[in-house]
Amino acid sequence: MKLTILTQEFKKGLNYTERLTGRNLTLPILNNVLLEALPNFLKISSTDLETGIEWWGLCKTEVEGKITIPAKILTQVISNISDEKIEIEAKNDTLFIKTKSFKTQIKGYTSDDFPIIPQFSKEECIEISAQELKESLSDVVDIASLSQIRPEISGIYFVFKKDAVNLVATDSFRLVERTIKSNNYKNSFNEDIKFILSQKTTKEVINIIQENTGVVKIYYSESQILFETTLNEVDHPEIDLISRQIEGNYPAYKEIIPKEYKTRIIVPKDELVKQIKLAGLFAGKINEIKVKNDDKNLEILSQDLELGENSSTLEAKIEGDSTEISFNYKFVLDGVSRVKTKNVILELQGSSGAGVIKAEDSLDYIYVVMPIKR
Amino acid sequence: MTQEQIWQSVLAQIKLNVSSANFATWFANTKISELSDGVLTVSVPNSFSKEWLEQKYKAEILKILRSVDSSIRDIEYIITPSKRALSNNTVRINNEEQLGFAEFEKDEETNLNSKYDLDKLIVGPFNEMAYAAGEAIIENPGEAYNPLFVYGGVGLGKTHLVQGIGNKIREKYYDKKVRYLPAEKLITDLVNSIRENRVEELKKEFKTIDVLIIDDIQFISGKTKTQEEFFHIFNALYQNNKQIILSSDKHPGSIPTLTDRLRSRFEGGMIADVGMPDLETRLAILKQKAEEKGLNISFEALEFIASNIQKNVRELEGALNKIIIVEKINKRPCTLEDIKKQLKNIISIKTKITTPEKIISSITDFYNLEDSNLFISSRKKEYSKPRQLAMYLLKKELKLSYSVIGRKFGGKDHTTVMHACSLMEKEYDQNQKFSQEVDMVLQRIYSE
Repeated sequence: MKLTILTQEFKKGLNYTERLTGRNLTLPILNNVLLEALPNFLKISSTDLETGIEWWGLCKTEVEGKITIPAKILTQVISNISDEKIEIEAKNDTLFIKTKSFKTQIKGYTSDDFPIIPQFSKEECIEISAQELKESLSDVVDIASLSQIRPEISGIYFVFKKDAVNLVATDSFRLVERTIKSNNYKNSFNEDIKFILSQKTTKEVINIIQENTGVVKIYYSESQILFETTLNEVDHPEIDLISRQIEGNYPAYKEIIPKEYKTRIIVPKDELVKQIKLAGLFAGKINEIKVKNDDKNLEILSQDLELGENSSTLEAKIEGDSTEISFNYKFVLDGVSRVKTKNVILELQGSSGAGVIKAEDSLDYIYVVMPIKR
Repeated sequence: MTQEQIWQSVLAQIKLNVSSANFATWFANTKISELSDGVLTVSVPNSFSKEWLEQKYKAEILKILRSVDSSIRDIEYIITPSKRALSNNTVRINNEEQLGFAEFEKDEETNLNSKYDLDKLIVGPFNEMAYAAGEAIIENPGEAYNPLFVYGGVGLGKTHLVQGIGNKIREKYYDKKVRYLPAEKLITDLVNSIRENRVEELKKEFKTIDVLIIDDIQFISGKTKTQEEFFHIFNALYQNNKQIILSSDKHPGSIPTLTDRLRSRFEGGMIADVGMPDLETRLAILKQKAEEKGLNISFEALEFIASNIQKNVRELEGALNKIIIVEKINKRPCTLEDIKKQLKNIISIKTKITTPEKIISSITDFYNLEDSNLFISSRKKEYSKPRQLAMYLLKKELKLSYSVIGRKFGGKDHTTVMHACSLMEKEYDQNQKFSQEVDMVLQRIYSE
């Protein structure tokens, strides 16, 4: 193979694909990326056998061909190149990199041993604005459970309905649901599409979107999912991310979200975040803060036997009963800090029921958190 | 040559030709799923393996296959994700006090709690019949014993047994639909469906179940409408050879106000009782629980606990938990003396502190009578039997004198009481069903 490509492009391609390599010890070939010179395109692929990423970038191809190269060393070499263009050529399982100012050779392997990334039928698809998807995913991705005991909830639950998208994550102590309703959203499948994607893969999805302002296309099959972004310059995919789904049924999460409330508190978000952080300093080993309210004020208390204690009062719009309830402050902070409106709504159901955090005047964000037993 | 052997010979030959890393990545967890019309279908764990085997090894595999079985023409791959293991140890990342969503604890589809593992159930003379019946059911659901009716006192492992059977069946047969329901849930489901006019829908849903497990079925006593609907559900399942497993704290014959047609159906399969574990079994249970909890405890101490807590398995666990907490507080292992001191209050309550009131209320509870009915002088059997039993237990458990007992029951003569006691004694020895009833009443008396 032989081709010339802009350094900038090549760096970008490696940046997307290299992240999947270097995690597998049993099969060393997985620490490599596969370079393929296609007509007008350089294609870079990597996989960890759970997820596969393929990237295409425009280039001037002279001779078609392919080779696999250890990802780490290739990335390090390329990232130190400051010349505008790179010429690369593969001969006898060795990659020759040439720019105006220097020449490098890297030993590679034959591409025959590189895993084959499964292909997809691209008939039906879902289209969604890349930035909206990224923003919503960033809100839920960190909430998923880290434990593998219940694989279903270790992933992010995607629900593509006809008119809206729900993204859900939970770790069994709290649950977050983000809703996307938008004119840019299209679902050409006949039914609702639902699947669970691992947290790791979801982070990759966020990563391939980055600053892309176009749309993401999502293709679905029984066990696999494909996310695709498109090149700006020509109508050709830029990145295909293929991943397997997590097996199992996601819990009926809607049942967890309380429909009513006994106390409803509306407070300025920034104030609340500040006070929770402050209270968190004295929250002790179990991160416990106490939240109390009367008709007008919200009080946040915390006490650490060794360090001291803290209490703060916030003026708030309150309806319903007076309550006293304990929470893990980190959980509450995670919920409140993701709210994007000026005010935040806190709904409580007495001292042992779940607390609900919502954004004021918008229905696209719901965060449910369980209290600490007292 | 069986299908498994065909694939084994392929794997054995492939293994010689590829590196062990390659073999582990692509060929592990593959197996034959079907062989028909010369087309061999192999199930692989993911689509990467599928692509790889299809594109890289197809010729080689086919060649080996033909040398083994010349009728094989082609090979196909299907993706069967490896079934996740049902995990038993729930690791809590957070502290004990943090509440979680209760909905997540159990399996959505079956309602079974995976912590009930049949392999962890200790089997002894007291429950071996129920266990053996359970094993037979796991082998042939719906065919061996249908329904299986398990009964026994509080805290003896009925729920563990029936849920354990359910979990095993689920592990063994992916396609069988197992559903566990506490009777209470059955009742509320039925009541709701009646209110919302969806009874037929609910019944239809029940009819798709392959293994129905109802816990504490005695709670449907007195609920006429529920009994009627359950009767139809029961029949529909039974006629289609679907397995039904029931548990109760009483023999079907002793469940009050159970309609005869249900009773006879409950009695129609296999009735197995779970009794009190003997000393050796209690010791075995304690040993296992101590191991699970990582508690290092001397044999003497275990023997002490086992010989003093006799009537309830759950309490054995409670005693161990208490020791663990005390060890944590004291930051040293408990000695036998410590344990004796710590368990004194549990044990002394157990031993003999009960009152005439407790005995009487337990009996009236058990037989579903009003308290006062026990004291009216009626000759009707439903009153006279509990009354005589009450006299007998007052004598046996509290050693009250015959005349005191007589006075309690509205000034009866001491000879009447003596007669009642000897009658009961005889019944107890000769009538097995009655003796079980008495044991269960006794357990109630000492269980709280």
